[in-house]
Amino acid sequence: MGLLDPGALIFFAIVPALVLAYLARERPARVVVSSILAFRALRGLRNERYGGKPRFDWMFFVELALLCLAVLAMAGPFVIRRSNPIAVVIDNSAAMQAKLASGGTRFDDAIKKTAAMLSNEDSGGKVSVFVTTPAPYRIAPPFDSAVEARGALAGLRPTDAPDDSSAVTASLTDMASGGRFKKVIFASYRAIAAPAPATIHAIVTGDPAPNLALSAFTLRREVFGANTLHARINASNFSPGAAELTVTLTGDGRQLAIAHETLDAGETGTLEFPSLPPAQVYRAELAPADVFALDNVAYATSGAVRTVSILFITPSPADAAGLGAIPGAEVKVVAPDKFTPADLAKADVAIFEYSAPKEMPAVNTLMVMPPPDPVFRFAVAPATNIQIARWHNTDRLTDSVNFRMLNLRNGEFFGQHPWMSAVVSGQSGGLILRGERQGHRYVATGFNPFPYLGRKNLPMSVLTLNLLSYLAGLGADAGSYRTGKPWLVPAGVTMVSLPSGRKIKATPGTLFTEVAEQGIYELSGKGLAPIPRAVNLDDLSVSDLENAPPFRLEVATAPPASASFLEKASLSPWLLIAIIALGSIEAFIVYRRRRGAMAGA
Amino acid sequence: MFDLPDEFTPQFLARLEELRVRTHRQYAGLGKGSHLSPRRGSSLEFNDYRHYSSGDDFRYIDWGLYGRSDKLYIKLFKEEEDLLTYVFLDASASMAYPAGDRKFDRAVATALALAYVALASGDRVMVRVLAGAGAKIEPVFLYGRHRIMELARKLRAIKPGGEFDLAPALAREMHSIRRAGKVFIVSDLLMLLNSVTRGLGLFTAATMDVTAVQILGGREIRGQGLDGDVEVVDSETGEHLRIAIGAREREQYKQTMERLTREIKQFCLKRGMHYALHTTEQSFQDFFLRAVADLGLAH
Repeated sequence: MGLLDPGALIFFAIVPALVLAYLARERPARVVVSSILAFRALRGLRNERYGGKPRFDWMFFVELALLCLAVLAMAGPFVIRRSNPIAVVIDNSAAMQAKLASGGTRFDDAIKKTAAMLSNEDSGGKVSVFVTTPAPYRIAPPFDSAVEARGALAGLRPTDAPDDSSAVTASLTDMASGGRFKKVIFASYRAIAAPAPATIHAIVTGDPAPNLALSAFTLRREVFGANTLHARINASNFSPGAAELTVTLTGDGRQLAIAHETLDAGETGTLEFPSLPPAQVYRAELAPADVFALDNVAYATSGAVRTVSILFITPSPADAAGLGAIPGAEVKVVAPDKFTPADLAKADVAIFEYSAPKEMPAVNTLMVMPPPDPVFRFAVAPATNIQIARWHNTDRLTDSVNFRMLNLRNGEFFGQHPWMSAVVSGQSGGLILRGERQGHRYVATGFNPFPYLGRKNLPMSVLTLNLLSYLAGLGADAGSYRTGKPWLVPAGVTMVSLPSGRKIKATPGTLFTEVAEQGIYELSGKGLAPIPRAVNLDDLSVSDLENAPPFRLEVATAPPASASFLEKASLSPWLLIAIIALGSIEAFIVYRRRRGAMAGA
Repeated sequence: MFDLPDEFTPQFLARLEELRVRTHRQYAGLGKGSHLSPRRGSSLEFNDYRHYSSGDDFRYIDWGLYGRSDKLYIKLFKEEEDLLTYVFLDASASMAYPAGDRKFDRAVATALALAYVALASGDRVMVRVLAGAGAKIEPVFLYGRHRIMELARKLRAIKPGGEFDLAPALAREMHSIRRAGKVFIVSDLLMLLNSVTRGLGLFTAATMDVTAVQILGGREIRGQGLDGDVEVVDSETGEHLRIAIGAREREQYKQTMERLTREIKQFCLKRGMHYALHTTEQSFQDFFLRAVADLGLAH
């Protein structure tokens, strides 16, 4: 027997305080009696307190016992006993959904084989059951017997998410070398590379199989404001030979397009679907069917179909005229002195012209020639005859913009910014800065593009459309969310419905981690129209069923398989039960006494 | 029955009518009654002789004595008069505690029962309330059993309260008592024994026939409801005492209560007084009808 935290025994010093509290106890129950004549013969408390013999009723000893038990529980008593703990690690990643020739899935096979192996274990030790996806974790406190563990295994289901290979490797290494488990049973479609630690007993399920997969389903709008969309889907062939495949694209359940493609072995091809009519949810399905159905389907959503609401905060309302002429854009102009943060609630994009917000806007924001401000802390330097010197060729903001044709008369240069980086720079500093904070996009320009929109200045118009496309989030709704990868809950969203129909409460600004299912998640909130969000597997390493790279464990000193394990069994739960029982008894007695005293009065 | 306590059923009243107040002595009354009086009168009980004088009734001449002594003697007989009965009811604050015991209700019932016995047998009753609050009761004798309703109404309107010490209180009451008679004192007598003995001794010194009826609560005797650290407060004086009560102390308390009642009883019997103890746990009717002799009553 031992104590995890012997230092807690110092709290036994409270015992004298309890004794003093009893000796100095004030305010006894006050009872009016007909006469105190007969009570005079009894010993008074006052006499006992000062020099008299202390008198403790049994309640004192109950409280003393409670105090001692509490201090002991704080010290964390434990007993050491021999044990043969077993760890069971089940790979519940998406790849385990692949079907076997026998008809079942890899996961079913792994569970069956693991249960069979567990039934041969009669060590009597505790069994800890772990799963690998989305990150390795223990599903419940250790089970007392293999029978209980087998029952828990029966309730497991594979996820649609890939596993984190490095995290699984680290966990297995820790289990094999930590000396915590006598045996580690690992069931997966991936083997353990030799030399495997002696403590690990790997169950490998499934054989290499040909597979066709969809990945990277993206939607984008070629031109800001146009109603039609352009879809791009990647398809891969993980088969020994060439394969003909067909991808059918549907929008809100209505078939929109079909594409055929022939891919060589190991080849990944791209299928383009131009001029797609608007729909809320797009679904791509791959044919022919194969053993792994999960990656034959991919989803995308388009938030760009609806009108983009722009809140334009400017002292110069005339500048909004050019913006309002863009198809699909709805502009609301507000003077800076009339602006309140509540105005942002219904805006997709906010534009601050010659002004800056007093707090970080909770929507994607463009700041045009902002003044120095305490929120973004721009360092600006006014300039004339600005020459654009550098820009990123492959950036979405600069796409198709001929900067050599841009003539900027005057503006301002940005200095170094703590979290925004320059996309376009002039001779004395940044001209366009871009950054992301708390899930929102922020862009600042050192010049005003709006007075020049239209045919008179095509480069500026293209740049403006790029800025708005980026800030409105167009073309980024699909392909960005993958199973197993948490995402930030957007502002205003309080509930998320999973593809399975399960609803989960969400807090804006926090990470949403229930992302193990592939499909359409519906984000909703008070006063907010439901927002569909596509989450896809989109992991070709999972889809490649031909190659399953083994886990490589580097165990320095693996304990011998025959080693005997000692386990610390905590006594704190029993102490807690005793404390609760004693506390209940005391409360009951006190209640009885008070009730009796009241009845007696 | 109307203003009478619930215990006063027709059957109980009928049993009360069979009783009468008993005294050790003969007391002069205010009118004709059923108790022998020290006065000479016209009853059948011989008292004395005296010489005949002119004008005496011939019917009372003892002719036998005349034959033997050749002198005329007149036979004198005792007078039968009513008994003056005084009932002193303790309405001090102590009679209200413990509240669950309803000591004062039982004290009122006892006083009414005693008064009814006296009124029903043709005696005169004066009820005096010691301490308490409520309707004042005039120091007049009541006569006739019909007065019991009026008395019950007045007694039940009284609320116990105030401080009370038996000796000085009874000393004050002695002024309103013009003639000796039967005295009933209904109280919990929870006071110093010295005060009790001095108070009761006042009446015995005045040749009164005294019955002390002690009313105590059942919980009060056992110390029920008192456990652990308690601050007991005297209902009359407000004096408080902090004590720790366990099983041992409760037993000690019970023994003290028993000793107090025993000492009062011994004092009463030693001085020729009647003494009866009524605990509220008992049935009132059973107590009253079984303790007839202790109460100074007779069939």
